Amino acid sequence: MPQLLISALSYLGYILIFPGFLFCFLVGLLLAGIDRKLVARMQKRVGPPILQPFYDFFKLMGKETIVPAAASRTTFLLAPLVGLAALVVLQLFIPIFSFSAFSGVADVIVILYLLLIPALAIILGGAASGSPYAGVGLSREMVTVIACELPLVLVLLAVGRAVGTATGSGICFSMTQIVQYQIENGSLITRASMIPAALAMLLVIPGETGSHPFDAAEAETEICEGMLAEYSGAPLGVYKLSHAIKLLTMSSLFTALFLGGIGTGVIVLDALILFAVCLVVTVVMISLLHAVTARLKIEQIFKYYWTVVSGLALISLVLAWYGF
Amino acid sequence: MILMNYIVSFFLLALGMYCIVTKYNLVKTVIGLSIMDYGVNLLIISIGFNPGGTAPIFTWGELTPSSFFVDPIPQALTLTSIVIGACVTAMSLALVMKLQESYGTLDTREIRRLRG
Amino acid sequence: MNWLNILSYRHFPIYAIMVLFLGAFLIVLFGRNRWARHILAFLSVASSLAFLIALVRPVMLGGEIIAYWMGGRVPAGGYAIGIALEVDALSLFFGLLIATAVFVACLYSFRYMEHDDNIPQYYTLFLMLAGGVLGLVLSGDLFNMFIMVEILTFAAVALTAFRNTANGALEAAFKYLVVGSIGSSCILAGTILLYAQVHTLNFAQLSALIPGGLNNATKVAFALLFVGFCTKAFLVPFHPLAADAHGAAPASISVLISGVLTKSGLYGIIRLVYFLFQSMGLGTIQFMLVFVGSVSMFVCVTMALAQHDFKRLLAFHSISQIGYVLSAAGLATALGISAGLYHAMNHTLFKGLLFLTAGAVLHKTGTTDLGKLGGLSKKMPHTTVLFLIGAASISGIPPFNGFASKWMIYQATYQKAVESGNIGFLLVTIIALITSVLTLASFVKVTQSVFFGRLPAAYENVTEVPFGMRFAMGIFAALCVVTGLFPDYVTRWLTEPAARAVFSVGQYINDMMGAGYAESVMGGLAPAQQTVSFVHVGVWSPVSWLLVLCIMLLAVTLAAVLGKYDRVSENAGEKVPGKYDLFFGGEESVYSQVGGGDLFWGFKHNWRHYFRFMYDLHSGVVNDYALWAVVALSLAVVFLQIVL
Repeated sequence: MPQLLISALSYLGYILIFPGFLFCFLVGLLLAGIDRKLVARMQKRVGPPILQPFYDFFKLMGKETIVPAAASRTTFLLAPLVGLAALVVLQLFIPIFSFSAFSGVADVIVILYLLLIPALAIILGGAASGSPYAGVGLSREMVTVIACELPLVLVLLAVGRAVGTATGSGICFSMTQIVQYQIENGSLITRASMIPAALAMLLVIPGETGSHPFDAAEAETEICEGMLAEYSGAPLGVYKLSHAIKLLTMSSLFTALFLGGIGTGVIVLDALILFAVCLVVTVVMISLLHAVTARLKIEQIFKYYWTVVSGLALISLVLAWYGF
Repeated sequence: MILMNYIVSFFLLALGMYCIVTKYNLVKTVIGLSIMDYGVNLLIISIGFNPGGTAPIFTWGELTPSSFFVDPIPQALTLTSIVIGACVTAMSLALVMKLQESYGTLDTREIRRLRG
Repeated sequence: MNWLNILSYRHFPIYAIMVLFLGAFLIVLFGRNRWARHILAFLSVASSLAFLIALVRPVMLGGEIIAYWMGGRVPAGGYAIGIALEVDALSLFFGLLIATAVFVACLYSFRYMEHDDNIPQYYTLFLMLAGGVLGLVLSGDLFNMFIMVEILTFAAVALTAFRNTANGALEAAFKYLVVGSIGSSCILAGTILLYAQVHTLNFAQLSALIPGGLNNATKVAFALLFVGFCTKAFLVPFHPLAADAHGAAPASISVLISGVLTKSGLYGIIRLVYFLFQSMGLGTIQFMLVFVGSVSMFVCVTMALAQHDFKRLLAFHSISQIGYVLSAAGLATALGISAGLYHAMNHTLFKGLLFLTAGAVLHKTGTTDLGKLGGLSKKMPHTTVLFLIGAASISGIPPFNGFASKWMIYQATYQKAVESGNIGFLLVTIIALITSVLTLASFVKVTQSVFFGRLPAAYENVTEVPFGMRFAMGIFAALCVVTGLFPDYVTRWLTEPAARAVFSVGQYINDMMGAGYAESVMGGLAPAQQTVSFVHVGVWSPVSWLLVLCIMLLAVTLAAVLGKYDRVSENAGEKVPGKYDLFFGGEESVYSQVGGGDLFWGFKHNWRHYFRFMYDLHSGVVNDYALWAVVALSLAVVFLQIVL
């Protein structure tokens, strides 16, 4: 009996504290804050304090929620919560180097599909609000999701094949096995055939998180932030939190797929290393790109992802297929 | 085993398909369907033929191992097929009548509200 | 005579078919009375379903094959002389699927067809359609299959034209009849060519005799039969018929056309290549099936993105999912067939649900044009929830059933690619994944255009649909959720026995024609019992995932509630002007909702030449569709002559 109680409590701890809700909350908002500060600095501004997203979140939680008369109330209020929950649950299935909270539940294909749920939640929330800006926003968001899907698929298939040929089973879809292989044999990014795939994955990260220059879906200057136009108060806070946590999730996915070999085995150190890697990825791919580029049009985003980024991932896939 | 029958039956099949593909009048399309059915019926009945065989109708005691008759099964299949062909023709002509009432024309190039 | 014998489960297949035909006949006689009609129809479909469920224990779990000779005419002298029904796990799988879909569609029809004329004829045709399809999958005789194909084509055409004042119903029925008849004539011609070679029509005996003696005539027969069954399954290039027929038919019939008729075509193809010709070992035949499946998948999903009619869009998606099933079944591995059959089952369930919700929308608003609808979630909340379940299932969102079967299909195609070393199968995996996300896009479009957005003034008085219709939709939705949460049970009880049956041709022949027949007739070519393995390379535990998600949702909701998530303004009575209106740039709200046709502009712009080409190609003229059928037939004949 105490055994059952201990394991139930430990799972609850995984879900709520580490690597679950509390960990995502703290690290995600921290990354978002560092990103904002750095972008400002790169643009020769002072920028907000690093803890600004925390202040924003708690402020929004205390504000009044205005549900428009034309909106479908239940979906409008429920969508942000479902999106946040699904995103945090997704983070639980991505191994942090050798530590994997729930190893037998989801594999790479499942993660690919679970990544659709937060995007779908924001789309449904926007649709439910009934605003015309939301219509344009969700259309662009869906096209961005379609655009990012092809390179992501190719990258995952390439990694699965690379690990599979090396372990002799042909293909490998299990996340824990991919990380295990990297711990034993060195990170996948050190293999020359996987570098195009790593580049492709890095380019997918700003697209998935909706960062500049791929943020046509949330274009503040054109469509008043699109799907979030009618949101206010606590639901808006939850969406901002989801956006921040997605930074963590995509970076940790990249780490697990390509940098799995640099962990130490001690949980606390691993968490710190993960945070460091996420920081570097955020700084380079999200802040730097944000500061120096202009926003792409939606058809340009689509074309870019389906030609350049998919081309990189395809090179890796073909090389991995033939065993390099 | 009559070669001419086989050639004609496949020719009718092809002719029926040609009729359906190139004729723009609804009634001609229905005729094309019927021609295809007749072609297949001719094929069925020709397959059962044994040269020199008698009709497969016997009473008890007449049937011996040395009786040589044409195959009765294709005849049964042909009857079934003819009935089906008649039903299809009837239904399609009924549809043609209603189409004429509702669209005012029998030209297939005009009857295309469902497209894309 | 032992009267108790008629209660033996060996007779259940024929009972299941006969109650449907008997019900059709009785409704002709007693159909004037509404209660008589409803009771007769309900009894027919319910008892048919009950008979088939009673067969699950002996056939699926026990591995038995029921070989039933009508009139007791067992084979004499090694030749089949009677008409046979043969029920193995594959037939029973499809039979259960059909019976379930028919049952739910019948329940739905009770309220849906209330305001139509000629209702007794509707039920008669409905039960004949059901009886025809059930007869097709349970039959063990090739000509019997052809008869059933004709019955079901006929009933389906008549039912498509049922509401003949609806826009395009007659036109759709005529096109369906023309190209469907071409397909049926092909099946008949193929059957007769096979008869001419071996002088038997019994399926098991044909399976024993044909593979050894492939000559030009049998190769032509293969092509004819394959094209004929593809017509029934509405694969490319016969897909425009599906779009027309589904769009014009009443919703309960659309459920049957998409969920049941297409499955009958698939059943015919599987029996043809795995049993009759036993040619799936050849890489070229696998290529043929997988190629047709992949092209169907991709072409139909892109066509669907361009539609602006709700039911036509659903019809194209239907064919796209059938493409998935055929690609998986064409892999010739046990995992592939199991995944394909699982997806076929899921497709019937979620597609049925989606068509029924489209019917509910049509019933209440009178239109299915995406440009005219909007904002229905406020008036029809239950229908919206049911639609969202169906849309999540078809897009493959975990934990619904679409995801479980798609997950297995991806593994099956990737495994096949690795085993055979052929990178073409990898392309199929990629196409399947992309099709999935395009499907999601399509349903986001429909959700935005029909259920969310602004409610047009014409639909202010729309109410929720009657309980009978919601109950029928709810059955499908519940099945979608259950089959998604417990894929292990579904595979163990339903799809794995069926997949095993596909590889047990020898047992099939022997049970029908007498033990040892296959070996004695086929000699060295007798199909040995193949070892089937269902090894997965991934992990997916839906119940655990759902548990974690629920805990997380609970935690998040708790935090939200504590943070006073929904703060309604205290003085709600005092209406602040404009506070609850939508923001429209500060100007007076001359509302402009983004029309369904304008969504996903970024995607459509990049593919505009392709979409233009496709639109012009699908011209709506019946001659063009017939031309595609003839071209497909010619290509099939030439290809199979060269390859076999």
